[in-house]
Amino acid sequence: MKKLSLFVLSAALFLSACSSSSSSSDGGAEYPSKNIEIVAPASPGGGWDLTARSVQKILRDNKLVDSNINVINKPGGGGEVGWNYLHPKDSHYLAVNSSLLLTNNLLGQSKLTHEDFTPLATLATEWQSIAVPVDSPYETINDLLEAIKEDPKSIKIGVGPGLGNDDHLSFVQAAAMKEVNPKDLNFLVYDGGGGDVVTALLGKHVDVITTSLSETKEQHLAGKLKILAVSSEERLEELEDVPTLTEEGIDMVFPHWRGIMGPPDMTEEEINYWDEKLSEMAATDEWKELLENNDWDDFYQTSADTKKFMEEQEQLYSELIDDSGLVE
Amino acid sequence: MEAFVEGFHTVLQPANIFWIVIGGFLGTIVGMLPGLGPATAVAVLIPVTFGMNPTSALILMGAIYYGAMYGGSRSSILLNTPGDGSAIAATFDGYPMAQQGRAGEALAISTVASFIGGILAAIGFIFLAEPLASFALKFGPAEYFLLMLLTLSAIVSLSIGKMVKGFIAMCLGLLISTIGIDAQTGVHRFTMDIPHLSEGIEFLIVIIGVYAVGEVFYNFLTIDKDSMKEKKKVSRIWFTKEDWKRSKWPIIRNAPLGFIVGVLPGAGGSIASMMSYSTEKQLSKKPEEFGNGAVEGLAAPESSNNAASVGAMIPLLTMGIPGSGTTAVMLGALIMLGIRPGPMLFENDPGMVWTFINSMFIGNIALIIINILLVGLLIKILDTPAKVLYPIIIILAFIGTYTLSYSTVDYFMLLLFGVIGLFMKIMDFPIAPLVLAIIVGGDMEQNFRMALTASNGSFGIFFDSAISITLIIVTVLSLFYPLLIKLLRKKQKDEEKGISA
Repeated sequence: MKKLSLFVLSAALFLSACSSSSSSSDGGAEYPSKNIEIVAPASPGGGWDLTARSVQKILRDNKLVDSNINVINKPGGGGEVGWNYLHPKDSHYLAVNSSLLLTNNLLGQSKLTHEDFTPLATLATEWQSIAVPVDSPYETINDLLEAIKEDPKSIKIGVGPGLGNDDHLSFVQAAAMKEVNPKDLNFLVYDGGGGDVVTALLGKHVDVITTSLSETKEQHLAGKLKILAVSSEERLEELEDVPTLTEEGIDMVFPHWRGIMGPPDMTEEEINYWDEKLSEMAATDEWKELLENNDWDDFYQTSADTKKFMEEQEQLYSELIDDSGLVE
Repeated sequence: MEAFVEGFHTVLQPANIFWIVIGGFLGTIVGMLPGLGPATAVAVLIPVTFGMNPTSALILMGAIYYGAMYGGSRSSILLNTPGDGSAIAATFDGYPMAQQGRAGEALAISTVASFIGGILAAIGFIFLAEPLASFALKFGPAEYFLLMLLTLSAIVSLSIGKMVKGFIAMCLGLLISTIGIDAQTGVHRFTMDIPHLSEGIEFLIVIIGVYAVGEVFYNFLTIDKDSMKEKKKVSRIWFTKEDWKRSKWPIIRNAPLGFIVGVLPGAGGSIASMMSYSTEKQLSKKPEEFGNGAVEGLAAPESSNNAASVGAMIPLLTMGIPGSGTTAVMLGALIMLGIRPGPMLFENDPGMVWTFINSMFIGNIALIIINILLVGLLIKILDTPAKVLYPIIIILAFIGTYTLSYSTVDYFMLLLFGVIGLFMKIMDFPIAPLVLAIIVGGDMEQNFRMALTASNGSFGIFFDSAISITLIIVTVLSLFYPLLIKLLRKKQKDEEKGISA
């Protein structure tokens, strides 16, 4: 046992030594001059972690970046802990982000927002889905929203792991577009997240769920539940029978995007460096394969486009959050 | 059947046997160390699995998961510091056994119990995966709430003689579990503007704090007195016939119990082992021996939590829904390998599923060998002088804590809970109700509120289904059973007195 704990100890020390070898200053002209650290503001296994590790793997396997790339997990506060960690760092630190970067701030849970960082790229997106049990009386999204309009309390909507996220706000937007007051919607919040709401729907404990497509797609294909609509622009591969919201007369496209950013005040050279490397990465076959495995879609946008995109998204989210009644 | 045999052939490939043994060994080690659990181990191995074929990766991750159930009770027995929630029940009788010089027996019987629990559950997996998965769907918010209520009432009623203290400890745990963002409304509760607290307090920190750090603090206070006491020599490393006779049935009947609880998403292993312990205590003819080194009080929960870890794989593989922290990480890893567990997996890739099921048999055989061999080595820990042992425990506790969320804020929390643990020991408060309440508290509250939201505020929803009513009856029984028994005994005694007089 003693030998064993020694072994574990030395292994742990070794690992921590590997991940903290970033002490040299970045005065040189050459960028990057040391290890790149990608912060995943979540525990291993989730979407942010998978994004960070995918970027790491593909940049490394294709030798796109000469420096070593490490992934650091900083979970907590819906991304806030990780982004707080990134904020004072130098330009060798990057972090994965998503709409929570905007909504945390809009909901008053965080002081940081997209303007406090340097956006580098939007990478990928998932699509949202609205699903009901196979034998549900609602055949289309319009049937469902009609029924909600008549008696909002009668329809239980499963969502997770909390309110104010894309799962929740995409439904709010759809409802608002059909003149349903989002404040009347009867949400049941499953704090275990996507898997939990699917279980709840399969067990008929809720009438409808709103969650990312990756949670519902397999179940739909197996005939265990029915996806009423997806939030993408066009119908999706393998799900040719599922209409988009737009086709159903609800004029909205709702991406659940993930991107990557750096600390504030990165130089133009550094931004150009990542524009070049990340666009190369997004064009590789491995990246496309990874997207497919995860049921994600390519959503690559350059740093300049991402900046504009963030501003538009902030506008949209601020309206949605007002509608939802989450902030008084 | 054909798929079964084919799966068996795949498992027997040397590479797969290699991964099973590696996984089992790693699992045993991380299970033993406070804070390092199977979830962390699987997460750390994700980059390693990138290069592997998906079946081997699944086998490896599975072996780590149930291997940790074997390892978890080691530190509970030897040091009174459980490695994970599901190993808490092993402290109740395992540690007293070690104190009585029966550490070897305790380690051996818990290994055998884990083995039998794991094998029985693997057989159950083959025949019952589909029906159990659909049974688990019947559990709505109301049923979950009642299941957790049953767990908490069982654990409070276990602390006989200290029931009030047990109740106070449980309430403290429930209070602590309210810290964090409230999921239903998004309100920050008791987070004091510390972003780190918004996710709530990780229960593993509480376990490491009150058990491991608290135990070290406590021993530090009593270290001088302790050296006066004569250490009991550990004589044997195998259990007696008498031990086996007492444990045989508890092991066998608690495997199905753990298996079923494991299938339910949530805190499977912790709830399963606690329920098994309380069941055995109530069935026992000598309940007064429980807590003082009753061998069946150790064997039953060990069988149960192993079975639960096998059960937890059912929702993952049949529905693609992770039922525990570890299976959630496994799901992420499998997706990166291009496998999406779900309702289609059995149809699309039966070879992989059957290979995995078969790997559980081989894995459990490997694990019983590994763990029996380790018994002789592990009991040496008891001979380690305190001045060497306790610093090592403290170091491991801090490392384990850091790996939970890579944050130093948790160190303060760890020390705080260490001090709480110390005071609870000094004032003779039972610790398990506190920890269990923190493990289930958040979910329990959330399910209670969801149930009421779903029923528009009517409490009728808690009496709506057969499952609910059964759970209520069992809860009431578990609360009043100890009192009932006391009354019956008293009556018996009175009668005896009456006769003799």
